[in-house]
Amino acid sequence: MINLVVRDLHKRFGGNHVLKGVTFEVNGPELIGLIGPNGAGKTTLTNVLDGAIKPNSGTVYLNGQRIDQLQPYEVALAGLGRTFQVTRSFRRMSVLENLYVPALAMGRHESKAEIHGKAMDVLEFLTMDHLRNEFAQALSGGQQKLLELGRLLMLNPDVVILDEPFAGVHPRLMEIIYAYIRRVNDEGKAIIIISHQMDSIFSLSQRLLVLNFGDLIADGPPEEVKRDPAVIEAYLGAEEDEETAQPEEA
Amino acid sequence: MRGQVPYLLGLGLIGFFVAFPFVYSAGDYDYIMHILITAFFYAILAASWSMLAGYAGQFSFGHIGFMGVGAYTAALFSHYFWLSPVPTELCTEYQFGSTWLVIVNPIGVTSSTLTQDCLRQALTAWDGSVEVSRMPVWLGIILGSIMGGVFGFLIGVLVLRLRAAYLALFTLGFAEILKATISAEIEITRGQAGIELPALFEDGVTVFGHAFSKTDKLPPYFVMFGLLLLCLAILAWLAHSKFGLFVRALREDQDAAAALGVNTTRYKVLVFVITTMMAAAAGAVQGHYIGIITPNNLFLLQMSLVVAMAVIGGVENFVAAAIGAIMIQVVLEMLRNSFVIGGYEIDMTIWRLVFFGIILMLTLRFARNGLIAPMIDHFTRGHVAHETVAKRVATEAEGTE
Repeated sequence: MINLVVRDLHKRFGGNHVLKGVTFEVNGPELIGLIGPNGAGKTTLTNVLDGAIKPNSGTVYLNGQRIDQLQPYEVALAGLGRTFQVTRSFRRMSVLENLYVPALAMGRHESKAEIHGKAMDVLEFLTMDHLRNEFAQALSGGQQKLLELGRLLMLNPDVVILDEPFAGVHPRLMEIIYAYIRRVNDEGKAIIIISHQMDSIFSLSQRLLVLNFGDLIADGPPEEVKRDPAVIEAYLGAEEDEETAQPEEA
Repeated sequence: MRGQVPYLLGLGLIGFFVAFPFVYSAGDYDYIMHILITAFFYAILAASWSMLAGYAGQFSFGHIGFMGVGAYTAALFSHYFWLSPVPTELCTEYQFGSTWLVIVNPIGVTSSTLTQDCLRQALTAWDGSVEVSRMPVWLGIILGSIMGGVFGFLIGVLVLRLRAAYLALFTLGFAEILKATISAEIEITRGQAGIELPALFEDGVTVFGHAFSKTDKLPPYFVMFGLLLLCLAILAWLAHSKFGLFVRALREDQDAAAALGVNTTRYKVLVFVITTMMAAAAGAVQGHYIGIITPNNLFLLQMSLVVAMAVIGGVENFVAAAIGAIMIQVVLEMLRNSFVIGGYEIDMTIWRLVFFGIILMLTLRFARNGLIAPMIDHFTRGHVAHETVAKRVATEAEGTE
């Protein structure tokens, strides 16, 4: 069974203490929402989990393997995949080539035909099969988000972290992303969704984690978290002030 | 069928260059052959640089330095290492069976009448009774290529965390340091005087019953052309493999590639090693062909020329870069002839470089993918847009039925 154990993670950038002892566990195919105001440390947490940033202290174990000191590619191979807040497709590579990269990087013993077949299935699911030979730079912003999700399907990790998957996406594409999340979850994968879109987060998540300036202030079912006074004060009740909050994730 | 056109044209081009030396017979035969040999040399540099910069996004300005590593390794190897049937008892030497490996002492640039190296002294003493032989040229070329790869590995490791301008400046620094070191180490490298290399076929060569002297152009022509084809074949194989896909992903977004499981460190170093080996091999062969290598061959201007050739051909396609290099080299040579307009003599030895600069500027302004690459893309990717529209229309039609 999938088991992600995050213990007492600390991360400092100079004098800025961005993660202050974050601790949580993911057991099995959970669908988790990770929310918090701008500057809460959500993206930093994601970067630490995927190996892009090393924590100052604390540990991360994935299925019994310690991953907090591994390189990002080793973390991916260990079974943790992510998307980025700002879409990062391989723009001057075709849609199919974008999908081949993770499949080949995994080093599974699959033939070219098998990988191609899988990529075509993914594209059909994402309703992008007609775009298969186009360069990613020819896609719309929403389609590029779908392509990023498609790459994760090809990587097939145990834990998927989606950083702002709904931001700036057309409602029709949003439906595809919902279907994607349900499909991945049904396949037995754990999903952590970072989003500011409360409607989507509350309707999809089985569990919510709330970060506030590096502290994990809530961890529980959405209905419970929604009523948590600390969460209301730190985030849910502060939406009107968001424009004056820190502009970029730490 | 349309997609096969570039391959057929490529085969035609290979056929042309294979047939050319046998068909062409004008008085300037040697001159034209020399231009083409040099063009093939630049084509190897441009194609390998295209893999490094265009495919992998590693904008190295040290490529000409790696070429120099290959050329100087081959030169030093042929200059200092000899085989002798008897010991000189003057040089450092090691016995292997009945043969002695003689390592000549470095004496720098001196008049042979005043100071002689240990081997020359021994030869004088032997008075023609003993014959020593050079190390094989091919071994020097292989060693030069390996040394280029070793330097490529070291630089590749050092620049792992560097990107864009920082990478360019670092590699430029490497090439300049190498050039300065070679210039300064007069004892070993003979400094600005340069170091001589034996011809590719010092004792001549006989092919299909036809004997060629060491100054004949045909053997080096086919050696350099063969090396170019070998490099292009390796690059083509790499470009169509997992390697090609990963280095392009590296170029597009290193962090995203790593997050998808690509060992970016390995592929970044690998692409450096492979392409620098090619540059070094080209340098070693060119050194043996020209007969001398000097620090001036490592000038930044030479690097700029390689970059310009690749850019004009199309930096994201190594075949286009190679064709661009051949085209530019030939055109630049053809433009050497000065002419008179209205009583004014146009000195083309200078103006041809202006012409070259204008082509480069126009290419960068109006054809960012170069002049050759878009033609190849026209045949290989020209159908994609139509295909996309057709598939979308078909899908929509299915949906409305």
